[in-house]
Amino acid sequence: MVELTGWTASPVPGPPDPEGGTDPGLDPEFGVEEPPEAPRRPIRRAALLVAPFAGLAAFFVGWEIYVLVRNLRPLTLPLPSDVIIHVVENPGFYSRNGLVTIQEAFWGFWIAFFAALFVATWMAHSQFVERATMPVIVLMQSTPVAVLVPIFLLWFGFSPWPKILTAMLFAWVPFVANALIGLRSIDSETHELLRSVNASRWEIYWRLRIPHSLPYLFAAGRICVGLALVGAVVGEFFNSREGLGNAARVAQSRLLVDQLWGSVFVLAFIGVAFVLLLIAVERRVLRWHSSQDSDHRGL
Amino acid sequence: MSRADAAADAAISFEAVSKWFRRKDRLVHALSRVSLDVRQSEFVSLIGPSGCGKSTMLRLAGGLLEPDRGSVVVNNQSPAEARRQKRYGFVPQHPALLPWRTVRRNVSLLSDVNRQQENPGMSTDDQLAMLDDIGLTPFLDSLPRELSGGLQQRVSIARAFALGAPVLLMDEPFSALDEITRADMRYLLLHLWGKIGSTVLFVTHSIPEAVVLSDRVAVLGSRPGRITQVIDVSLPRPRHAGVEDSDDYHRVLGEVRAALRQGWSS
Ligand SMILES: Nc1ncnc2c1ncn2[C@@H]1O[C@H](COP(=O)(O)OP(=O)(O)O)[C@@H](O)[C@H]1O
Ligand SMILES: [Mg+2]
Repeated sequence: MVELTGWTASPVPGPPDPEGGTDPGLDPEFGVEEPPEAPRRPIRRAALLVAPFAGLAAFFVGWEIYVLVRNLRPLTLPLPSDVIIHVVENPGFYSRNGLVTIQEAFWGFWIAFFAALFVATWMAHSQFVERATMPVIVLMQSTPVAVLVPIFLLWFGFSPWPKILTAMLFAWVPFVANALIGLRSIDSETHELLRSVNASRWEIYWRLRIPHSLPYLFAAGRICVGLALVGAVVGEFFNSREGLGNAARVAQSRLLVDQLWGSVFVLAFIGVAFVLLLIAVERRVLRWHSSQDSDHRGL
Repeated sequence: MSRADAAADAAISFEAVSKWFRRKDRLVHALSRVSLDVRQSEFVSLIGPSGCGKSTMLRLAGGLLEPDRGSVVVNNQSPAEARRQKRYGFVPQHPALLPWRTVRRNVSLLSDVNRQQENPGMSTDDQLAMLDDIGLTPFLDSLPRELSGGLQQRVSIARAFALGAPVLLMDEPFSALDEITRADMRYLLLHLWGKIGSTVLFVTHSIPEAVVLSDRVAVLGSRPGRITQVIDVSLPRPRHAGVEDSDDYHRVLGEVRAALRQGWSS
């Protein structure tokens, strides 16, 4: 075996510093040079933080003014301030129904995630499975999932399952596609490196493929939050006695303009809240990934 | 010493190895009857034009490929068995660091993988001492993307040494670096190797690099890939940058260049 001792004992001739420029302050001829003052642009930073809220405010103010100026009837387009007031005045109704929709979307989202990861893992490890699965996925992707809801109704009746299943079907295609790309995106040299110490497939999967697919999965996740909500709402349109989709449907049939728009607003709020939550998690988990460089980081 | 004795003594022994690759319906003859014995603790470079089968030889030595004819033996074991026992420190062309692991944890990667295989590895203290030795201490907790290419490649080399494997396989590890960094990396590698003394099979297409580093340089020709000449580099060790000014160095440089040209024209 190779001799491994003696690291600390031997004097260190030390190779020349190949990075050269990393230590510019030590040139004896010039002495220590002061670095320039860091540019401070507090206004610019603050502006960047405020920008999203400014955009939203402009949107709603523009809407409000438009309705007032054109003197539109609420049935055509309500005042956003009226809708918001209505929502705030009925917190019980919206939180109760919102929670129902969130639960359906939540389970649909996660079932889609794990199902997609399972299938993509299988596909990533076998070309045969990939070729066999692809047409089915394309089929599922091009079928309008909404038409399946009545069928789910036949199967599951008035349970949460038709809605969870719809949410899942809406969300799962982006998850599969991205998981497959992610699991396949490993670099061949790193793969060979791990093989050189006889890493098992399982280890290559956990140590290499899964971490490599995280950026792809997060990107899919942002899309799928919205899709799962849409799925849950579509499910509720068809059959439900609760949930925001149901609230909107009932409101529509009874011309309850405030409730119709209230449901839309609350749904939008839920979607944004979960996407922001996901982004916060992503920033922590993907600190190592270049997408987290502040220079080219959007939302 | 007979051929058989030499092979039994050798750290890595190629015996009349041939290798073909099937690409679509075409057969590529990658290596033809290659024989080479690398002695214990010897530093041997493979040099030749691109596509002549250098990486293929390395993969055969590492048990990542099987020869079609002939045999490869590594320390009296099959390469596959040696690989199972984690006897290789592999340095690929690009640093191939895991971007989510810090420098420290990248260096311990090869020991972390396949843990059930009993592996001596370097103790954590020895690893830290080695990293300090090659100037990586300030970067222990940095992520790879925060490091320059030269520093990343240093981590990659440290990772191979940290496994404590008796055989190191390096596939053009410096070819992606700029010329200045690259020249320094040679001596850094020699410095580490001087302390550990593992057997090294080193692929390069830089003649100065091969001469500065190696005990012997195996020159490969292409189509099909084969060893055309093996040149002894009898420069004294330890070698420092000054070696590049010596007459002997330039003489060997010329020999390798001539051998390459010959392989090219034949
Ligand atoms: N996995 C492979 N499949 C098909 N052809 C290969 C494969 N690996 C190498 N080759 C071919 O074998 C020859 C030698 O390749 P390689 O050993 O990578 O050369 P070098 O490292 O000297 O540039 C080349 O013609 C290359 O295209
Ligand atoms: Mg190569």
